[in-house]
Amino acid sequence: MDKIEIIIRDNGTLTERTIRERDLKAEGEVLDELTADVTRSQRNVLAIPGWGVAHANVGLEDIIWSVAINRIPLKARFKLVNSVLVPMFASMTELEMPMVWTAPPEVRLVFVVRTTVEDGCVLVGGNWLFAYSKDHNGYRLPLPNLHDECTICTGQFEDSYDTAGQALVASLEQFNRSKWNADLMRTVAQSQQFFRFHPTNETFETLPITASDWTTLCDKVSTAIMDRVLL
Amino acid sequence: MKKITVEYGVDSITKQVESGFTFGDLQECDSFKAALGFGDNTKALVNGIEQNRSTVIPDGATVRLETAANTKA
Repeated sequence: MDKIEIIIRDNGTLTERTIRERDLKAEGEVLDELTADVTRSQRNVLAIPGWGVAHANVGLEDIIWSVAINRIPLKARFKLVNSVLVPMFASMTELEMPMVWTAPPEVRLVFVVRTTVEDGCVLVGGNWLFAYSKDHNGYRLPLPNLHDECTICTGQFEDSYDTAGQALVASLEQFNRSKWNADLMRTVAQSQQFFRFHPTNETFETLPITASDWTTLCDKVSTAIMDRVLL
Repeated sequence: MKKITVEYGVDSITKQVESGFTFGDLQECDSFKAALGFGDNTKALVNGIEQNRSTVIPDGATVRLETAANTKA
């Protein structure tokens, strides 16, 4: 419908202005564009057997899942030094052992999975491992197979699933069975101060981190993904 | 001189720098590294847009540094 306005300009000229209005069927696209960067957080969305609960940060394009974990499976080569078992990731001769490192309370570990949906399938778009301090800063652990921004170099595994729950379970299973090798390795000295085990009669117990401030053995990280992690 | 604010993780610092100070200068600056704890592999963003290392940082800007992705060794 047209609407006509008559305008009197500053110089006295009379001008006719015709305004035509029509509703556009583009609400969805416009809303999507305006909310492209808006995400919503939902806690306790899924229970992951053997690991804990997964929190979700839902965006327009993807979901970032956060699973607080308290252990890291360390299938790697180890060496006994002064009755303390320490990793030797780059070694070809030391014994390979399936150790499990238990995190002390001050090291808050979060396993993160990014999923997207394509053709009705849930795709795994990446796995991250972050360690958070009490002041909520995030750190890269002194481990190989971790990129600078804490993406886990998981190796090949199926990335398409029927549900997000299956995608999370599969990601954690891959994390659980992966071997830690020397890829992306820096110095092993910090790893050996961090991941230490004491052999007992039947098993191995995790020893405390040698540094009084564990963050000194790690690299502080800051990424866009971390803004969406739920602790 | 100009004043800039730099964020890394949950920490931030506001500091006076030379007027020609670039994003690359910031990413290599030892005093900012020591204060905020970032390493050599970073990218600089302003309002979510990644900045060129050679660009001079505008006065009053808030720069967010993020850890950059690296490739497999």
